[in-house]
Amino acid sequence: MIGRDLPLASRLLLREWRAGELRVMLLALLIAVLVSTAISFFTDRLQRGMATRAAEFLGADMRISSREPLPQEFLQEALNNNLQHTDLVDFSSVTSSEALMQLSSIKAVGPGYPLRGEVRTSQQPFGTEQVATGIPDAGSVWIEPRLLNVLELQVGDALEIGYAQLRIAALLTHEPDRAGDFYSLTPRVLMNLDDLPATRVVQPGSRVRYRLLLSGSEADLQRYRQWLEPRLESHQRLTSVADDNRQIGSALQRANQFLGLASIAAVVLAGVAVALSASRFASRHYDTSALLRCLGASRRRTLRLFLIQLLGLGIIATLLGLFAGWLMQWGLIHLLRELLPPDLPNAGLKPLLVGSATGMVGLLGFALPPLLRLGRVSPLRVLRRELTPLPGSAWLIYGLALSGLSLLMWQFTGNLPMTLAVIFGGAIAALLLGSLAWLLLRASSKRLRNAGLAWRLGSGQLLKQPAAAAGQILAFGLILMSMVVIFILRTELLETWQTQLPDDAPNHFALNILPDEEPAFRQALDDIGARSAPLYPVTPGRLTAINGEPVREQVTKDSPGERAINRDLSLTWAAELAPDNLLREGQWWDQLPPGDGHHVSVEAELADSLGVALGDQLSFVIGGATVEAGVSSIREVNWDNFTPNFYMVFSPGALAGQPSTLLTSFHLPADQRDGLRELTRTFPAMTLLEVEAILQQLRDILDQVTLAVEYVLIFVLLAGFTVLFASLQSTLDTRLYEGALLRTLGARRQLLRQANRLEFSLLGALAGLLAIVAAELVTWLLYRFALDLPWQPHFLLWLLVPLAGALLIGFAGALGTRAVVNQSPMKLINRGA
Amino acid sequence: MSDSVIIARHLSKVVDAPEAKLTILDDVSLRIAAGGSVAIVGASGSGKSTLLSLLAGLDLPSSGEVILAGQSLASLDEDQRAALRAEQVGFVFQSFQLLDSLNALENVMLPLELEGRRDASARARQLLERVGLGHRLSHYPRQLSGGEQQRVAIARAFASEPAILFADEPTGNLDAVTGAHITDLLFELNREQGTTLVMVTHDERLAARCAAALHLEAGRLKEDQP
Repeated sequence: MIGRDLPLASRLLLREWRAGELRVMLLALLIAVLVSTAISFFTDRLQRGMATRAAEFLGADMRISSREPLPQEFLQEALNNNLQHTDLVDFSSVTSSEALMQLSSIKAVGPGYPLRGEVRTSQQPFGTEQVATGIPDAGSVWIEPRLLNVLELQVGDALEIGYAQLRIAALLTHEPDRAGDFYSLTPRVLMNLDDLPATRVVQPGSRVRYRLLLSGSEADLQRYRQWLEPRLESHQRLTSVADDNRQIGSALQRANQFLGLASIAAVVLAGVAVALSASRFASRHYDTSALLRCLGASRRRTLRLFLIQLLGLGIIATLLGLFAGWLMQWGLIHLLRELLPPDLPNAGLKPLLVGSATGMVGLLGFALPPLLRLGRVSPLRVLRRELTPLPGSAWLIYGLALSGLSLLMWQFTGNLPMTLAVIFGGAIAALLLGSLAWLLLRASSKRLRNAGLAWRLGSGQLLKQPAAAAGQILAFGLILMSMVVIFILRTELLETWQTQLPDDAPNHFALNILPDEEPAFRQALDDIGARSAPLYPVTPGRLTAINGEPVREQVTKDSPGERAINRDLSLTWAAELAPDNLLREGQWWDQLPPGDGHHVSVEAELADSLGVALGDQLSFVIGGATVEAGVSSIREVNWDNFTPNFYMVFSPGALAGQPSTLLTSFHLPADQRDGLRELTRTFPAMTLLEVEAILQQLRDILDQVTLAVEYVLIFVLLAGFTVLFASLQSTLDTRLYEGALLRTLGARRQLLRQANRLEFSLLGALAGLLAIVAAELVTWLLYRFALDLPWQPHFLLWLLVPLAGALLIGFAGALGTRAVVNQSPMKLINRGA
Repeated sequence: MSDSVIIARHLSKVVDAPEAKLTILDDVSLRIAAGGSVAIVGASGSGKSTLLSLLAGLDLPSSGEVILAGQSLASLDEDQRAALRAEQVGFVFQSFQLLDSLNALENVMLPLELEGRRDASARARQLLERVGLGHRLSHYPRQLSGGEQQRVAIARAFASEPAILFADEPTGNLDAVTGAHITDLLFELNREQGTTLVMVTHDERLAARCAAALHLEAGRLKEDQP
């Protein structure tokens, strides 16, 4: 049957197109598909690009670590999956010159290291950095500059590691996979894996980490991961970009969430545009439907003819939209080429799928309900024009469409809470505010009875059919809301990033400062113009028991808790709560009754992972002695701010008598770097870590993401405006007709202009009001349940959005109804009749 | 009896009005012979159009029965009635009912295309030539005068060679001269094709050109004629 109707339906579609009937609908669909495709393409490529940058912090896309050598089958399977690989072994050992010794962190690396990012070296302390082209040759090492000081060595001298003597070939200034490791106290050494046996340092039972670094395509990695995860033993750990590094991780996650939301906004815009234009298409085709029935087409056939047309239109719009979206994404990336990573990977097929799904779900979900009415047009309409079909069970279909959209958004964002927040927030807001708009309209009809003629004419259009007007307000409101939500999120996202990484964020960590050096150290920092965080005392210690139970039995594999109990923690004490820390539960020392034993404040994530609650008794082993402390508070810690942060903070006196050193971070302007040399000379025992490179890397990424966010915002705004104008077109038919009628009755053009402007401004202001209420609700839900951000009302927007709505829609409406005031009324009436 | 293409028995149509039930047609019975022409005449609101819609199967009576081309409409569902219309019936309306988005040729082609006829274009051209619009094939309804639009509608009505043509005030929207031309055309084509013509009109002169006239008054037939 479809085969028989296909040619006729196509001809009808072609004729409709020639007559200009379909342009608005095609445009709306096209924009919808275009925007969602372009955003999807852009974000897909950007995410891959950013993931590549983030992978540099790991030195690979994926890393498997273990305390024992990794099984051969791990490597074999990696090779089977076309992954690139390299081995490395991490361990601590004493390194020495002829006279001196120093405990060092040694990394023995195989050829190919690092798989992502770069190693940089220099020939002198604070000398010019060069990017290393390989790994240290066999028989040589690269060492951190401070090891030279400690061991009193020069580049070219020999360094002893165990039984091996290795020549110092260069100074190690940057390792990509160093980022997560601020607190490692010992100087670092990079050596060739081939030299490892000669050192005889690695013996059964020594504390060694064997690591396998892997990189490859996303699909290969994913497949490998699926194979690997069930085979991992408790002492083996898999790390990938997403679950490593906190700073990059959270920035990337937020950026992804934003881009996902922008896509949702695009889908909502698409839905509104399609619903409006389809409902216009349907109402303009009641006559056609009636005539077809009169000419003998059955109900089903009539419907089929329209459905085929709709589908055809959808396919054309989707194809055009996909192509245009692809082009646009290229343009965007070309515009941003200076700021984007140079080797941006190509996008996958997903954006094309997402784009087509948007087109089709939007079309079927939002165009079907109005279209189904076409099947119910009575043929009697040819004699009695007033017969319009009854609305059918649109709820069911809209419900289905909404579910379809939710699935699509979920697919888009990979984030269920966020999707539900938007869908439910939007739906509840729409329902509430639609009714509110309707009530408002009805209430104002009484008040406006005595207003001027222009007011009565303008508002009359809205008041005559409150339900239809509420529908329009809702549609425009949803468009404005999508734009406002994206705008709010963008602004706050950028602010968060800005405060997270201010220009004077600490770029150095200083460790191992002796307590009696504190005043001199502070003075020295002042002298070189550095701005310092407080100095914290640090004592290494291990958590051994919670309420007397050994902790090993209480943690799950691969949790922060497991990692925390498997190594020494940096323990500190402090009188004041650090400014970036937030008490989630319990009280700080000054609120506690005095003389109640020792207290400890635990970081929230670790507390959750260990199952620690207020009042629990923790046991620590510190320097051979056991220290007990009661948990008196749980703290939220901002790990992103590059100041010293601690899992465990003790009350003053709890660690009295334990050996400790001081730790701080400070910001040193780039042009003051020479001061560092002086600082290391004055405090030889101090360990200085530069994180400027990491900061810079992080800033670069945030800059790129910021820019991307800005462009995506512009994208969404442009799409919003276009859809707004297109949608407005779909409401013009009756207005044009009635305007013409008024002119026939002698209304002056000035009056009509005024009435039109008033009507659309009123419509816009109400839509704006609705938009800001809904946007507040949606952002509140998002912040609360998905983004985990504090929320505040946006008072200024309550003023601006309705105003902008009035201006925008007022202007667009006046533009759209120019024909009312300029064309011959007779022509319009003939057309409308 | 067998030469009657339309038989109506005791037709009534009652609708719900705000205050009470409103009887639009009251016990109307009639027969229309094949090839004949019948006018249904009456004042505004006398039930003419309602009767037409019942006879053509566009609507169903509250009681009574219509037999169209040998088929009882009551026994057919909506889609079967549509199929019967496609096969047997053509329409001409007061308000022309052309599709704005189709040009003259395409409007005439539409019923032929619904039938799936391959010669749709050729036949439509031929008919438009016949009604004198061969030079305006690609004009859209809004580019045509009222008389021209009705000629397109007539061409469309005759395109599928219907056995019965229903015309609802075909000259109602036209001036006298144009109306007369349209009437001539309608009767010429009716003769040429041997169609049964059922015309609703309040124009007595137009009614007089039909072989018979049925007078409706307040929903009742004033005199029963063949």
